[in-house]
Amino acid sequence: MNTILTSARHEILCTLRARVALLLLVVFLGMVSLSSLIGWITNTTVTRVYEKILADGLTTAPNPFAAVSALYYSRNSVIYVVLIGALMAIILGVQATLRDRKSATADLVLSRPVNTVQRLIGQFLGLGAVIAAVLAASTVISGASISIIMGAPLGLDPSVRLIGFAALSWALMMIFALLGMLTGLYSRKETTALLVPFVIWSAIAFVLPQIGTAARPVALLNPVPALASPGRGSFDLIGAVTGPFTITEQFKRAASIVLRDDSVTGSPWLSILLLVAVLIAMTWIVVVTPRRTLRSGLNE
Amino acid sequence: MTTSAISTAALTRSFGAHQALSDLTLDVPQGEVFGLLGHNGAGKTTTVNLLTTLLEPTAGDAMINGHSVKTDAAGVRQSIGYLPENVQFYDNLTLLENLRFFARLSGLRRPDARIRDVLTFLDFTGHDNQRVGTFSKGMRQRVGIAQAVLHAPAVLFLDEPTSGLDPEGVRTLRETIVRLNHEFGMTIFMNTHLLSEVTKTCTSIGILNHGRLVHHDSMSNTLAAFPADESLEDIYFQLDSAAV
Repeated sequence: MNTILTSARHEILCTLRARVALLLLVVFLGMVSLSSLIGWITNTTVTRVYEKILADGLTTAPNPFAAVSALYYSRNSVIYVVLIGALMAIILGVQATLRDRKSATADLVLSRPVNTVQRLIGQFLGLGAVIAAVLAASTVISGASISIIMGAPLGLDPSVRLIGFAALSWALMMIFALLGMLTGLYSRKETTALLVPFVIWSAIAFVLPQIGTAARPVALLNPVPALASPGRGSFDLIGAVTGPFTITEQFKRAASIVLRDDSVTGSPWLSILLLVAVLIAMTWIVVVTPRRTLRSGLNE
Repeated sequence: MTTSAISTAALTRSFGAHQALSDLTLDVPQGEVFGLLGHNGAGKTTTVNLLTTLLEPTAGDAMINGHSVKTDAAGVRQSIGYLPENVQFYDNLTLLENLRFFARLSGLRRPDARIRDVLTFLDFTGHDNQRVGTFSKGMRQRVGIAQAVLHAPAVLFLDEPTSGLDPEGVRTLRETIVRLNHEFGMTIFMNTHLLSEVTKTCTSIGILNHGRLVHHDSMSNTLAAFPADESLEDIYFQLDSAAV
């Protein structure tokens, strides 16, 4: 246990000292803050215009923002997690396992009373802590921004839902962090270690959903999952087959339900179960990495 | 009767068809400074990697401080310190952060006091909060020694410890090795191809040739077996070529 905690603490320290990782964390938090600011500006502008035309007697309709759920303003965060969050997680994951191979510190670590499972679980937990901290910060920023926009503190239900969304985001980002750890362990070159997970990410996030949703690429950039196929049998079949692998779509579906997006209905549990299953499978694949792989150098 | 710090029995390691180390049988008593000599590719680093459990033997076994490298690797790792050739650290972390990490991996719960003692012993104070990435080769080598002895191991493995050091660095390292042996009774196993270093620091030597141990004796016996005017270099080449 002590070894796992030591590895985890070391991973946190190394991640926070890496400039690229820090830059990505700042960009992610910046995007979340900017999203809230845009939401607040939109709300303020539309409400002012509405009040003006209401005062001029040009409308009797209610303010369009009056019926909007408080969590509406966090919707964009769903796509930030899929796009920026996942990429950030990949880079952190690659750095974690590639670091020892690149600087040849693996031999020093493995000559200590440490087994590979403890070492890799420690690194996984360290990355998990960093990503959890980033998501906690983004949740606080979102919660505070929504409270300012709504003019009242966030209630218990939306607060719990925001935390639930953060937990889902953590699961998705950790899957990509583990993918990065895996390529960091097995690739022979640093460029391959980064390129392979990026290709896999783009296939999962863009190609697979497109195959199953009748080629609707714009829908993939929406925070809600891709819409149902237009009833063609082949698309339905492909969608059913690729569905479990399109973890980004599963995430978008579960996150949209958790954030009370009216355009998505049903239960989020199947999507959540799929995410958790993939997370567990990826963790297992990473921690059973043989000792000789951790020691292997790079061909550079 | 002295007990063995390192004892190997027919230790063998192959990489595919290439046998890097063949039937190494060797005893290094506690408190010795043992120098393993050999030309490049003779199998010196493979030997150290096997004895430090970084590699698994294809056949045979080795006991380090009473622990088998095959069946009790954790016990071996607890007993040893290791300084690889061209040692590297986490460049973005400070000296103290690097040493804390390795100390905790070795089981030290509150390592700061021990780290200060070791750095004082190595006369390497005043750099605690400096990033290791800014250190010279000589400074890194001292950090390497520090991380290797933090947990006061019974056996210290040094793989080409003087590689790339300037003359002053070589002298400092040599003095450190002798002090670690004399003051703490640490058994030291050193790979090197610098014969001058072996003469000055080692109490016994072994010579590897193409993965086979062709000579193993105390330094005094080795020197005594040859004419007085022959240097260790001459002796080495005679023993090495005789093996071929």
